[in-house]
Amino acid sequence: MNTLDSKIPEGPLAQKWTNYKANQRLVNPANKRKLDVIVVGTGLAGASAAASLGAMGFNVDIFCISDSPRRAHSIAAQGGINAAKNYQNDGDSVGRLFYDTIKGGDYRAREANVYRLAEVSNNIIDQCVAQGVPFAREYSGLLDNRSFGGAQVSRTFYARGQTGQQLLLGAYGALSHQIARGTVKLHERHEMLDLVLVDGKARGIIARDLTTGEIKRFAAHAVVLATGGYGNIYFLSTNAMNSNGSAEWCCHKKGAYFANPCFVQIHPTCIPVHGDYQSKLTLMSESLRNDGRIWVPKKKEDVEALRKGTLKPTDIKEEDRDYYLERRYPAFGNLVPRDVASRAAKERCDAGFGVNNTGLAVFLDFSTAIQRLGRDVIEARYGNLFQMYEKITAVNPYETPMMIYPAIHYTMGGIWVDYELQTSIPGLFAAGEANFSDHGANRLGASALMQGLADGYFVLPYTLQNYLADEIYSGKVSANSPEFDKAEESVRQRIDALMTIKGSKTVDYFHKKLGLIMWDYVGMGRNAEGLQKGLALIKELEVEFWKDVQVTGTPDSMNPELEKAIRLADYFELAKLMAKDAYHRNESCGGHFREEYQTEDGETLRNDNDYMYVAAWEYQGHNQDEVLHKEPLVYQDIEIKQRNYK
Amino acid sequence: MNFTLKIWRQENAKAKGRFETYKVENISSDCSFLEMLDILNESLISNKIAHPVCFDNDCREGICGMCGLYINGRPHGNDDGVTTCQLHMRKFTDGETIWIEPWRAKAFPVIRDLVVDRTAYDKIIQAGGYVSVSTGGVPDANSILIAKDKADKAMDAAECIGCGACVAACKNASAMLFVSAKVSHLALLPQGKVEAANRVQKMVEKMDELGFGNCTNTYACEAECPKLIKRSNIARLNREWICARVGKEK
Amino acid sequence: MNLPKIASISRKIVVACVGLFLLVFLLVHMGINLCLLRPDDGAWYSAACNFMGTNYIIKVFEVVLFAALIAHIVITVALQIQNWKARPVRYHQPSKSKTSAMSKTMIWTGGLVFVFLALHFVNFYFVKMGWVEGKYMIQSEELITPELQKQYMELSQGLLNEEETIAFQTKMEAVNSIITKAEAENLYSEDLKWIYNLSAEDVKPLEKVVEGVEPDFYHMAYDLFANKIYSFIYLILFVALAFHLIHAMQSAFQTLGLNHNKYNKFIEGFSWVYAIVIALGFAIVPIYIMFFV
Repeated sequence: MNTLDSKIPEGPLAQKWTNYKANQRLVNPANKRKLDVIVVGTGLAGASAAASLGAMGFNVDIFCISDSPRRAHSIAAQGGINAAKNYQNDGDSVGRLFYDTIKGGDYRAREANVYRLAEVSNNIIDQCVAQGVPFAREYSGLLDNRSFGGAQVSRTFYARGQTGQQLLLGAYGALSHQIARGTVKLHERHEMLDLVLVDGKARGIIARDLTTGEIKRFAAHAVVLATGGYGNIYFLSTNAMNSNGSAEWCCHKKGAYFANPCFVQIHPTCIPVHGDYQSKLTLMSESLRNDGRIWVPKKKEDVEALRKGTLKPTDIKEEDRDYYLERRYPAFGNLVPRDVASRAAKERCDAGFGVNNTGLAVFLDFSTAIQRLGRDVIEARYGNLFQMYEKITAVNPYETPMMIYPAIHYTMGGIWVDYELQTSIPGLFAAGEANFSDHGANRLGASALMQGLADGYFVLPYTLQNYLADEIYSGKVSANSPEFDKAEESVRQRIDALMTIKGSKTVDYFHKKLGLIMWDYVGMGRNAEGLQKGLALIKELEVEFWKDVQVTGTPDSMNPELEKAIRLADYFELAKLMAKDAYHRNESCGGHFREEYQTEDGETLRNDNDYMYVAAWEYQGHNQDEVLHKEPLVYQDIEIKQRNYK
Repeated sequence: MNFTLKIWRQENAKAKGRFETYKVENISSDCSFLEMLDILNESLISNKIAHPVCFDNDCREGICGMCGLYINGRPHGNDDGVTTCQLHMRKFTDGETIWIEPWRAKAFPVIRDLVVDRTAYDKIIQAGGYVSVSTGGVPDANSILIAKDKADKAMDAAECIGCGACVAACKNASAMLFVSAKVSHLALLPQGKVEAANRVQKMVEKMDELGFGNCTNTYACEAECPKLIKRSNIARLNREWICARVGKEK
Repeated sequence: MNLPKIASISRKIVVACVGLFLLVFLLVHMGINLCLLRPDDGAWYSAACNFMGTNYIIKVFEVVLFAALIAHIVITVALQIQNWKARPVRYHQPSKSKTSAMSKTMIWTGGLVFVFLALHFVNFYFVKMGWVEGKYMIQSEELITPELQKQYMELSQGLLNEEETIAFQTKMEAVNSIITKAEAENLYSEDLKWIYNLSAEDVKPLEKVVEGVEPDFYHMAYDLFANKIYSFIYLILFVALAFHLIHAMQSAFQTLGLNHNKYNKFIEGFSWVYAIVIALGFAIVPIYIMFFV
């Protein structure tokens, strides 16, 4: 049974978006003023969407979990943003960016969406420059580019190591402009806790004011979900502390399909875990792998000595070091894609060669590069990263090799959307990391920023307008309907349920436990047996959570413990779905690595015959088996290949 | 490591606050300051001592600007160029007494414990801290040439994370470093130049209106800025202001 | 003390401009003070005082100076009050941020300077204006005004009646006694009070007589600085002034937007040098008088 209509426009790939825009319905300015839109999230996708919709004349309410839109986690993206400008004259084009993204995603992304993404990528750069984003310049005054993993051209625009910050500040500026004009109303420190459907359409949300604990209702003609990913389900990830999957999950519970939840990206170069008190993992830019060499000791006795501290990494002789990436992938060496590098590190650590007191780290060594290029050159290239590393670890990476380990970074999966970014609930749209659409099973570096802004600036303003064209007759949506009453009541009940458990263990205790289960069984390497076991453990833990969690304080005041508990309760359900999705997908692709399905060399082995589809899951109720809907992926313009980085 | 913590506790915006004393033990020196507070909170809950201490935090890698505590007399604590989340316990001595206070400013009222309301910053930005460009209809990115040194300087200013440490550090609770960083970022670029005169006036007027103090060029802001934003931006703001006022028609 | 509708930066710019003007004034003032050190029995110093007291351009600037001073004080105090209000709840822990002590104490060093100014006005300026009694330099040729000379001629020609003669004689008596007394003390100085020691009725005509009398700042200064307590206070207040000025000048440049990587170090150094030179220039006079006269 296939109930999924992805609404891909007719025509050749390169014409689809043009055709769509030519035929979409419009709303005249007088009517736009009468139409309300709710945007949840103020990251790149949310802020840019709200700013664009506000500028068009719609009434927008935007919701922000933090004290300011500028805190959204898009701000932490370091490397850059891709665009097919071909300013470097190195043969880049929309087609090539499209191809690289599809291939990088291991052929699990929707072709038409990705093509559109590549098409509008250039407009994003123009838009951002006009907003005053201080991209890096050449001496000529023209824009500079750098190269990034998974591409053979230099197409990445950047603003030092803070590209995400600068792009977000640009979008935040545009948003602030609209707030000043009165077209957008900002609700800071508000968290969406439920979606309200009226006659099957998304008509508003229930949100909790995090300052006062007040439960509030907001009604609108359409709702845009731009709440990012759910990587924090692993407890330790590169995500921000407040990033969470609850907004997505409550929409899912109301009928929005959840697509490919098991597609999670693991970033190979993070600072390793150093203790059980740790709250998050810090990402080190991937660019470090350009000059750093990754190794672990060859001998177990050296590993032991290192862990005890009787041996320093610099004492280990060259012939006793295992440069495993260079050994396994002579062609790409240390520059293999993220998922490959991550898995290789895990493989060595699992085999008992990991370093650090935890045994969960590998060395990233710059001594060869320093000898070859001199310390000055290395300092100029990576000075700020080395400094950051030293601040965190108190180890000088110029003298002692860095230690790195993979960490959860990005979730390619998300709410299922059609070509218009509309979910399976009419009137509910999803943008940015919250949707599933563009990255397939693996996201390329510098593409997340591109997608967030593409959705917000250049896709939603068209597709949402197309939807709202039908809404001009609906009149003002009232928040005083029985549907809102019911939704508010259910939110209150859920909060009460959590508050009244009064158990003995903290929310973080459960979250850390869940994180470990997820990391061990639904992490980098998965297998059927492990996934079954993981699923059982999650269920067990969930039961314990609902019996024994302690949420202190009151619901009617600022209460971070309650916020965390609500999010964790949703994570348990999402975790089960992730395990289920990973279990059902009997192939390896991109970030999803099933140990049963690998090549002789330990690479991903796709099964294009049986699994070339998007797995969109439909919620059936708590602890009920979700129903799978398949959206087949059809590639008209691309030849499907096995990825090979040897 | 063991520490004695003196933490400001305040139920809500209207309640009267007070310092409470807590002890934390066996803290790893590799632990970050916020992780130390996490450990404290876990023990406050587990031992049913008190409601956990509320403090703002998000990215925990020094870029979102959400965290900010006044630790032993310094915003973001005893290290230079870092946010509170990047401060590690190895910067303290074993057995030390650590005083933790929220940002103090009329424009940043306390919401709860160590959490303050910094929406005043957003209001200043909304007063004009942007280029008034709507989506679409913009020229090709490379049609605007920007000298590298100008772009670099703009970027220096644009690195501001809006954490509020400048206000917290300033003896006058002045927001000049924040405002000047935004004004400088845009005034240095041709895209921002167009509205520069209007922008600087509106932002400064809003800043005054919100109850921030005045800059007396003490430069505590510069000393405490986690992103090392320079005082030269404040001078640029003053220049922009003078130019804007001199050229202003009635 | 709120000054509504003038933006903070505009106020600060006024403070900075006025401050720079006062800095220049201090240099001029110091130059005049240094004349005290010349072993010329006050010739240069008196000439300078006389010039400052009589020149019309200076008189205009005197008004500007006072306006400037008042503006400087009023605005900075208003700003300071606003600054205190900007942090209604203070920190428990004192700030450990790396800042200069001078920049943090401007209102206090400024206050000390204000105290000094009050003292100074009592001692010198008010005397000059005749609001406060002080010491005067009496020049006999000026005391014998043309009117007196005319009356003297008329008397010798027998043109004055008895009443007029008595009046003239009373005046001359007074003048003579001033001159005698003054001559006894080397042509200088006597208390105005002594002159007015006559009855109130007699004072009136004398007021005209003493119009030509110049305050004797030179000797007043020497007398004052000979007082060790006064000199000590004076020196302390100039340390405060130095503190004030070290920050004042570079701060004024910053407020006026004059900040440039290339010149910042110079401006900072120059502020120090200028402040120290001014303070030393003023301080050297009492030090000299205390220890070398």
